[in-house]
Amino acid sequence: MAANFWSSSHLKLLMDQEEVDVVHSPDKERGLTLEEFKYIKMHMANYIGKLAQFVKVRQRVVATAVTYMRRVYTRKSMTEYDPCLVAPTCLYLASKAEESTVQARLLVFYIKKQLTDEKYRFEIKDILEMEMKILEALDYYLVVYHPYRPLSQLLQDAGMTDMTHLSWGLVNDTYKMDLILIYPPYMIALACIYIASVLKDKDTTAWFEELRADMNVVKNISMEMLDFYDNHKILPEDRVNAIINKLSLKQ
Amino acid sequence: MNSRNVGGSSNNNNNNNPNRPAWLQQYDLIGKIGEGTYGLVFLARTKSQPNRGKCIAIKKFKQSKDGDGVSPTAIREIMLLREISHENVVKLVNVHINPADMSLYLAFDYAEHDLYEIIRHHREKVNQSINQYTVKSLLWQLLNGLNYLHSNWIIHRDLKPSNILVMGEGEEQGVVKIADFGLARIYQAPLKYLSENGVVVTIWYRAPELLLGAKHYTSAVDMWAVGCIFAELLTLKPLFQGVEVKATPNPFQLDQLDKIFKVLGHPTQEKWPTLVNLPHWQSDQQHIQGHKYDNPGLYSVVHLSQKSPAYDLLSKMLEYDPRKRITAAQALEHEYFRIDPLPGRNALVPCQPGEKVVNYPARPVDTTTDFEGSTSVQGSQSVSSGNAVSGSGVAASVVAPRPVPRPMPPMVGMQRMPGQGMTAFNLASQAGMPSGMNPGGIPMQRAASQAHQQQQMRRKDPGMGMTGYPPQQKSRRF
Repeated sequence: MAANFWSSSHLKLLMDQEEVDVVHSPDKERGLTLEEFKYIKMHMANYIGKLAQFVKVRQRVVATAVTYMRRVYTRKSMTEYDPCLVAPTCLYLASKAEESTVQARLLVFYIKKQLTDEKYRFEIKDILEMEMKILEALDYYLVVYHPYRPLSQLLQDAGMTDMTHLSWGLVNDTYKMDLILIYPPYMIALACIYIASVLKDKDTTAWFEELRADMNVVKNISMEMLDFYDNHKILPEDRVNAIINKLSLKQ
Repeated sequence: MNSRNVGGSSNNNNNNNPNRPAWLQQYDLIGKIGEGTYGLVFLARTKSQPNRGKCIAIKKFKQSKDGDGVSPTAIREIMLLREISHENVVKLVNVHINPADMSLYLAFDYAEHDLYEIIRHHREKVNQSINQYTVKSLLWQLLNGLNYLHSNWIIHRDLKPSNILVMGEGEEQGVVKIADFGLARIYQAPLKYLSENGVVVTIWYRAPELLLGAKHYTSAVDMWAVGCIFAELLTLKPLFQGVEVKATPNPFQLDQLDKIFKVLGHPTQEKWPTLVNLPHWQSDQQHIQGHKYDNPGLYSVVHLSQKSPAYDLLSKMLEYDPRKRITAAQALEHEYFRIDPLPGRNALVPCQPGEKVVNYPARPVDTTTDFEGSTSVQGSQSVSSGNAVSGSGVAASVVAPRPVPRPMPPMVGMQRMPGQGMTAFNLASQAGMPSGMNPGGIPMQRAASQAHQQQQMRRKDPGMGMTGYPPQQKSRRF
């Protein structure tokens, strides 16, 4: 149900890591590897975040947009659904769903102004057409839950509100991975608190024990995040371009 | 603005319709059953198994008018409908998109009646109040659906009789379905006042805190509307029929408040402590503080004894202070629902054997319209709409299994009434001239079809042909 994660479509749509990590055959035919697939999604998550700054929407809209984008690619190939167009369109759709509608022409204006690279340039009609394709690809499931709300509640409960800033930033970074497709948002929040407490040298063992949360899951999420920080902090632009060119879109 | 054809409606693009989307093939179109600012509502039948012959209401959203793709209203309605599932909430069975004109179609289980029609039928045809069992069952189911929504943090925000549907013949006969979630919201975050989003809704069911300028919604606004609907079920008349002030943004609706105060008395700070914080009360520009209203007498308006459980429940729904107003969950537990007659699942069948069963008319269907919303000229419709209605009576016999409105010939041009037609209808109805219902002078079957046509018009504008319903109450939403 809409405001209850436990009866929501979001819960039902959660997938296993193996299901998310599937490169669709048209992309595979063009030589896209799993690592590159993840790389593009990460790059597009960053791109959505960047666009959001220009059109001035809240982090929540960004988070919803990135979730839409990642869900699309569990079902559709990048060959058919050009990521350079899917990313801004997801932001466009998320802005409507989160009641802070951004006009398509404004989005197109900023894309043209900020990005000189031809492959990112689209017209309004491209976005509007892609919006409908994305709605269909999402099967019209648009309500997404995020770790932000449980994060504040949990931090309050733990009496660790001094870690809000750090753990909030960690939650933002989780959208560079597919975690939101795989784990319940409160679990992601817990992992972020766990990492934050380790970084800040705080002993939270007793609190976690009391919560009776599945610590294996919390640790799995944390491991993946730490792995991300080790390996992917910086995305070289030429690497991204090489991969996108491999898909030879926009021809 | 962009290069896209934003002004042109789908009618212009698709009249001859070579791009008729493939998914429409799964339905037989029967006709148009409603219209609003968002778009149109059609009645159709499923062609294929397993639901062959099942009636479906298809709500078509126009592309948003500012050229911004799928309308945000449609997005939010789908978003909520995709999450909710309850016996007393309308069920979304399918969503379709037509990329050719960017229109969106929502397919619902079809409900043959709504409270607006039921109340109207009693007022104008039966001349007798709705039986107690039916009133109680309708109210209980409405509250049951609302309790589900509220406990899931959804506020409907636009409850009114025409949005409360009741299932016709079939397995779910007499079951209430709350419809039209175009304005509904999840209220995790505070909700802004509707008119700040430029939305117009009818003021008759609007809670006093909103009328006095409260900035945010709570679920109590829905309970106020339920109170108004409860009273209307009892008396067959809208309880507070204020005349709406038309202005933007968010004009002060003095007349509506006046109507409320006259019945419920003047609100006081003792009874409603936060009253003094409400903008319109505070500014007191129209001297609402100074007015004195004598003889508050809700019981006399609704003809209930002050000691009756029904009156007790109603007055708790119409409590001024939203924080003291009864909740849906509390209302379901009220004594009113524990005494005879007990509420039942089929609200339309009286529990007492031998009691007269009221046959409600089926929803009027305009069989001359195709899915694009264009009214087709006689003869061409079976081609353009992809089905064989053509006034043979097939359609009407499906939607009107009861002996109410007879099949009618396609009423060429009858449904197109905005503009010049509007005034004519209004005048005619006010003057009580039934013959004036056909301003174009088009020959048509008399008697039987007249009532039918009147209903048709009301779909466009509830104000028409209805004395006591001011014409400004325009929006009928599905």
